[in-house]
Amino acid sequence: MQQLKQAAESNVNTPRITSPKALEDYRASLASKYGHDVPTVIICCGTGCRPSNAVEVAELLEKGLAEADFQGKIVPHVKATGCHGFCSRGPIVELEPQGIFYQKVKPKDVPEIIEKTIKGGELIKHLQYKDASKKVFTHTNEIPFYAKQSRLVLKNIGKINPFDIDDAIATGTYGALAKALSSMTPGQIIEEVKTSFIKGRGGAGFPTGIKWESCASQIGNRYIICNADEGDPGAFMDRSLLEGDPHRILEGMAIAAKAIGSNRGYIYVRLEYPLAIQTLTQAIQQAEAMGLLGDNIMGTGFNFKVSLSMGAGAFVCGESSALMSSLEGKVGRPRPKYIRSVEKGFRDSPSNLNNVETYANIPDIILKGGEWYKSIGTKESTGTKVFSLTGNVHNIGLVEVPMGVPLREIIFDIGGGVPKKRAFKAVQTGGPSGGCIPAQHLDIPVSFESLDQVGSIMGSGGMIVMDENICMVEVARYFTHFLVEESCGQCTPCREGLIRMEEILERITHGEGREEDPDTLEEIGKFVTNFSLCGLGTSAANPVLSTIRHFREEYETHIRHKKCPAGVCKPLYSLKIDEEKCVGCGICKKRCPVNAITGDKKKPHVLEIEKCIKCMECHKNCDFAAVIVL
Amino acid sequence: MKTLKIKIDGKEVTAKPDQTILELATENGIYIPTLCHSPALEPAAMCRLCMVELYEGRRKKFVTACNFPLRRDVEIKTDTPDIRQGRKLIIELLMARCADSPLLQGLAKEYGANVQRFSDLKDDCVMCGLCARVCEKVGGKTLTLSGRGVEIHVNTAFSEASEFCIGCGSCVQICPVNSIVMEDVAGERILKIHGREAARVKLVHCEMCNKHFGPVIDLTKVMSKFDKGAIPPSNANICPDCARIKLAKRIAGRYYDTI
Repeated sequence: MQQLKQAAESNVNTPRITSPKALEDYRASLASKYGHDVPTVIICCGTGCRPSNAVEVAELLEKGLAEADFQGKIVPHVKATGCHGFCSRGPIVELEPQGIFYQKVKPKDVPEIIEKTIKGGELIKHLQYKDASKKVFTHTNEIPFYAKQSRLVLKNIGKINPFDIDDAIATGTYGALAKALSSMTPGQIIEEVKTSFIKGRGGAGFPTGIKWESCASQIGNRYIICNADEGDPGAFMDRSLLEGDPHRILEGMAIAAKAIGSNRGYIYVRLEYPLAIQTLTQAIQQAEAMGLLGDNIMGTGFNFKVSLSMGAGAFVCGESSALMSSLEGKVGRPRPKYIRSVEKGFRDSPSNLNNVETYANIPDIILKGGEWYKSIGTKESTGTKVFSLTGNVHNIGLVEVPMGVPLREIIFDIGGGVPKKRAFKAVQTGGPSGGCIPAQHLDIPVSFESLDQVGSIMGSGGMIVMDENICMVEVARYFTHFLVEESCGQCTPCREGLIRMEEILERITHGEGREEDPDTLEEIGKFVTNFSLCGLGTSAANPVLSTIRHFREEYETHIRHKKCPAGVCKPLYSLKIDEEKCVGCGICKKRCPVNAITGDKKKPHVLEIEKCIKCMECHKNCDFAAVIVL
Repeated sequence: MKTLKIKIDGKEVTAKPDQTILELATENGIYIPTLCHSPALEPAAMCRLCMVELYEGRRKKFVTACNFPLRRDVEIKTDTPDIRQGRKLIIELLMARCADSPLLQGLAKEYGANVQRFSDLKDDCVMCGLCARVCEKVGGKTLTLSGRGVEIHVNTAFSEASEFCIGCGSCVQICPVNSIVMEDVAGERILKIHGREAARVKLVHCEMCNKHFGPVIDLTKVMSKFDKGAIPPSNANICPDCARIKLAKRIAGRYYDTI
């Protein structure tokens, strides 16, 4: 992309920052180019928007604006940013400084945007966001999806060009590092992080300050590692951070390095994130060129070098000890962790490993103080948390809220609730080894502790909403299957236990379940939880245990009555058209791939069960809920 | 040196810092079953059979005895109902892999395991990883653990017969279920895993009795450390039995005029 290349080239001329004061001066000099009131057309070029031609839209905008006649008015510049978070509405175009929000912009809409909105100041109705009740929203900050969030970690994403370090510096990035290097001792930094009581955002929720303190107290070469091996299906918080605001993470790592006394850092990022690898590679190059990373950072004599290491796709490598093995060039298998990695980790040296989001929180804690951070969230879980909201919910995307916000608010107020007037059934939090939380617990505040109490986990922040058409036994089977495939296979409980659980779930979904099966599943599940070696194993039974705990009757219906009420397990249901509800619109007849539905227009249709292959096309597309699951 | 006060199965004992629970238990005559442990190797904690309960204040944890380093005064229980139940399940799960193993059968009896609870996986290995670990330790570079999850198995690189095997037989000796086979056939030592040839090592031919004995080991590096001529008359091509006879003859020849 031309614009990205330009940004890279323009940075060749950027000065080397030789003191914390010089950084402030440089930041002040950038205000005229990057200030809030500079007319800008922002286009989301995150991974989610790229397949919908976002890059082409950006290029057309750039070309169109260059050619258009503005009659002396300031020509807005085009800025390609990282993920705005509202992924189901992408590609997103925002017009600053007015804050006009356009969604689902296609290349063919570009001339209209330039002519009508940019030149004429007129709004384009069909590009505006409408919620489920057809209410139209003009400005980004009015849209409930954004209005109800409190974006701290994500605040720059969607505002800055991730390939341009100047843009990041203009928003204040590296200011916290300057403060940490010039006016704080390592002990003071650790004390600030401890005061904030931030817990690791990777899932286990270990207090970061305590981890740093124990790593700093060790003797020997210390390493700073950033875990960017985000493998949970449906989770993309870390990816968006890496793609949209890489400098914030580098800054957080450098502050950690200063606090712990390290001068070597690694980012372990999965190879399936090509854009994140690009942004990070360029961010490291630019920061090193400016003296914000590398040797003698900002002239303070502190050295910190960061390298990227790419993972090869093993889910288990997101587990810290497996990640370190992989980083050493060995097979990514977890190691027993009775001796913590802060004492003996990467290359048998003291290593501090944190998640991407944890590092992204650090700069604000240093700038605004631990007490400020502690005032957000709950007493035990402080700060905000980014969730990736997916599944059967209107507004799919990235959501950042303070800890302690009820699940209901995330799913219904920000997420817009369940589409197609279907009933909410459960929400799965914490990735594949998280648990399913039913409707009666929707009012629990989201925190490490409360999610644990209802049999789920915070995990790294995945949140999958499920409606009434989802079968919980199948959900348990699906996630168990995922974990069977991703288990490293070292220890007996995880390797042998999970495959037996999958075997039992498989037979239940095929209508061959036995009366004792739920109890057997619970027995093996508890054993796998207590006896496994690593975090993957000890949480692997969560999907099964939590669905049995909250949806036991669904298991029993499968086993005793050989029925799948949600209409998912194919051998366990059949379909019928309700004569009273059917209006004879003919959509089901048109959709049926095997011609199993017959009937005249405006008269109730009939489904021939012998021909039906249960593809559910009729069920999904009936607007009158006339196709019923038996 | 500082010692720790540990209560293990109700018995008050002292432990050295960083001593493992298994070492302490063995020292005090308490039996903890293991499958994947060998005092000669770093503990891997793979079989999970040595799991015990650890009490620290009001907190209870499950930890593996083979690798848990004692650092504080704690209480350990090695044979609670929860632990017995877990071990029983491990044995039941492993019996589905190799039901023929006398070791597992003995354990099954001890823990009352239902040996036919799970369908047979038709394997011959309990996946303790001892063979791969000992091979790495002796520098054999032959056996390793390949694959992931249920597919993890002992294998050679690229599933091909290895050229690095030194024929030492450590893997055969350490395997708890006797699944690795080593045979000397027609001047060659053949190593078999899962019934498949894993390595073939040439055996040295004894110059005196004409029989084959130990494997040919490349000694070039060792020899290069000596000055030329400093190497004593070699017994390298003579089997241990013949070497003893040869030496006996030399001693006898020095004192008696028999030869």
